[in-house]
Amino acid sequence: MEKSYHRKVLIKKHLNEEYYEVMREDFRDVCTYLEKKGGILRLMFATDERQINGTFRLYVVFSVPGKDAFSIIVLPLKDDLTYPSLTVNIPAAHWYEREIKDMFGLFPVRHPDTRRLVFHDPFPADSHPLRKDWKISDEDLKTWGEVSAIKSPSDFLQVEGEGIYEIPVGPVHAGIIEPGHFRFSAVGETIFFLEPRLFYTHKGTEKHFEGMSFSQGVKLAERVSGTSSFSHATAYCLAVERMCGAEITEKAQAVRTLLLELERLYNHIGDIGNICAGTGLALGYAKGAVIKERLMQLNDRLTGSRYLRGVNIVGGVAKDIFRHTEDIMKTIDAVTHEYKDLMKFLLGTVSHIERLENTGVLSGEIARKMGVTGVAARASGINDDVRKAHAHLLYDRLYFEPHTQARGDVYARMMVRAAEAECSISMINTLLESSYKGELSVAVDKAPAYSCSLGYTETPRGSVFYWVMSDEQGKPVRVKLRSPSFCNWPVVPFAVHGNIVPDFPLCNKSFNLSYSGCDM
Amino acid sequence: MISNMIKQILKNITGKKNVIEVPDKLKILPDEEHLTDLINGIDRIFGRSLRIRQVDAGSCNACEWECTALVNPIYDIQRFGIDFVASPRHADMLLVTGPVSRQMELALKKTYLATPEPRIVLACGDCAVDSGVYKGSYAVTNGVANVIPVDFYIPGCPPTPLQILAGLKQLMEKLSSRK
Ligand code: SF4
Repeated sequence: MEKSYHRKVLIKKHLNEEYYEVMREDFRDVCTYLEKKGGILRLMFATDERQINGTFRLYVVFSVPGKDAFSIIVLPLKDDLTYPSLTVNIPAAHWYEREIKDMFGLFPVRHPDTRRLVFHDPFPADSHPLRKDWKISDEDLKTWGEVSAIKSPSDFLQVEGEGIYEIPVGPVHAGIIEPGHFRFSAVGETIFFLEPRLFYTHKGTEKHFEGMSFSQGVKLAERVSGTSSFSHATAYCLAVERMCGAEITEKAQAVRTLLLELERLYNHIGDIGNICAGTGLALGYAKGAVIKERLMQLNDRLTGSRYLRGVNIVGGVAKDIFRHTEDIMKTIDAVTHEYKDLMKFLLGTVSHIERLENTGVLSGEIARKMGVTGVAARASGINDDVRKAHAHLLYDRLYFEPHTQARGDVYARMMVRAAEAECSISMINTLLESSYKGELSVAVDKAPAYSCSLGYTETPRGSVFYWVMSDEQGKPVRVKLRSPSFCNWPVVPFAVHGNIVPDFPLCNKSFNLSYSGCDM
Repeated sequence: MISNMIKQILKNITGKKNVIEVPDKLKILPDEEHLTDLINGIDRIFGRSLRIRQVDAGSCNACEWECTALVNPIYDIQRFGIDFVASPRHADMLLVTGPVSRQMELALKKTYLATPEPRIVLACGDCAVDSGVYKGSYAVTNGVANVIPVDFYIPGCPPTPLQILAGLKQLMEKLSSRK
């Protein structure tokens, strides 16, 4: 192991990112070593750089534990388009490798599950949209949309045994929610195994970014996942600004920090309310919805958008939110009051709490191995928050600690949200006390040729990462986005194992994952 | 506020009426009066009940949350006799959001066919109208109308709950002129 540690070559250093190139035979060892040392796999992606240097490249991004730094392992692939799969040693790489296989046709050798992930059956074989020379005929597009999925029984994993039966659900569900297919294998009422099939809402977002300029891309980033619009746009803008070497002003940082916390607040309170819908506690649901609505109306007054869209631009922000300090304070005051009331009511309702306890337990070990992020990770005892681990914007000036719970059940996830909502309220109040220097936005130079950079922040669901790379004209070569839901969806089956089918909506709501963010 | 209500109740008893006016403070919707037309429309055309099945055909989820907001106690769309139902078989209308991703195309068609006739289709949000910001992507079909027949559009990204309500009102007008 130690030996392999030295076989990586530092090829580039940019802010807190260190890029190391490795050879194919060392790839797995180097990555495994980093993970064993406590590095968190943040994202993994490929690029098609054949026009630049004749290779495809794999990038594996790890957070260095205890330091604000990223180690990025780069593996060039030239003639042989296969690489040793990391999944065997690092289960968190599971979905990334399948995604790369679909989008680039790079094959992970010894991956335990090489079925398609993103594309469903009717999508043409050997067609990889993120390759630069990719084309698809109208005929194929038509078939892809119109032809019914061929029902090959081998496609879903099957559980055999006496008394096991399958319940297929979706993609169109009963409530007003996003589409996805779930296949339960149940014994009586108990879920033995669940396999989700997602990517129904796949919109080709990463490819779509490549056809836009970096500044137009903000609009798309805002629309990756509705309730995390602002976080996505922030992470995207940070990535572009870091790539171009732009320093945004203190004022812009303050506006972004403030709105990130407002976004967290409306989501967390809304989610706590929604969990009540899973237990049939109508009053709790209604109260949560009313508080959320108040915050949404505040968003509307501040930015003209209930989802905080149209504020972020590359180089800063377009609107000065601090002109509305009084309105924010007043609303937050009222909300705090109602929110405390709601929590008191929920925690005093035994029938509600009993449903939450020991339901949907996600063990800390699985969460760590599968690279879970955000609320779900912290509720399973993992002390990880990108706001703390890689402090950005004004987060290094604000005092807060990541809130963790040990039990990993629905209750724990609710309580992490509750603690974080209170923390957001105090952060908002602190932010409003000071004044900030600088213009709203600064001019950003054209990106240097073939430069690249990461951008990240903590959404209400967990960490979001963007990685951008520009070409000679300063246009995007590659925009990789990794939403928190992509990390967390694979563990939902672990959390629901052994629960009863009627509790599935409750478990699902406690994670509150975005389909659109995951499917891209 | 409470004393006002008591007064109102007493008035009702003496006047043998059954209405309690909503106190001003509780009114959150600014243009409540405009909505009476909507109620009348639903009364006349759908016999006091409009059942909507919402279908997400690849939206970013903001459009859905606005539909969900319609059922919260502030907008409380159920008071107009409108409700979202769990199955297309129970629906008078499909409210479709999202640009219709290719992988949802078939599911949307099947949902459409499962809805009893006459089925009304409402495309809600810029994506549903012409795929909005996703226009031109290989994985979307550029709007609901390319997949199933659409009767009515509500633009916006996302349209706010009030805009959806106003849109429903216009839809009623359109439907009643058709009759
Ligand atoms: S119209 Fe806007 S809010 Fe609605 S699904 Fe499309 S991007 Fe999202």
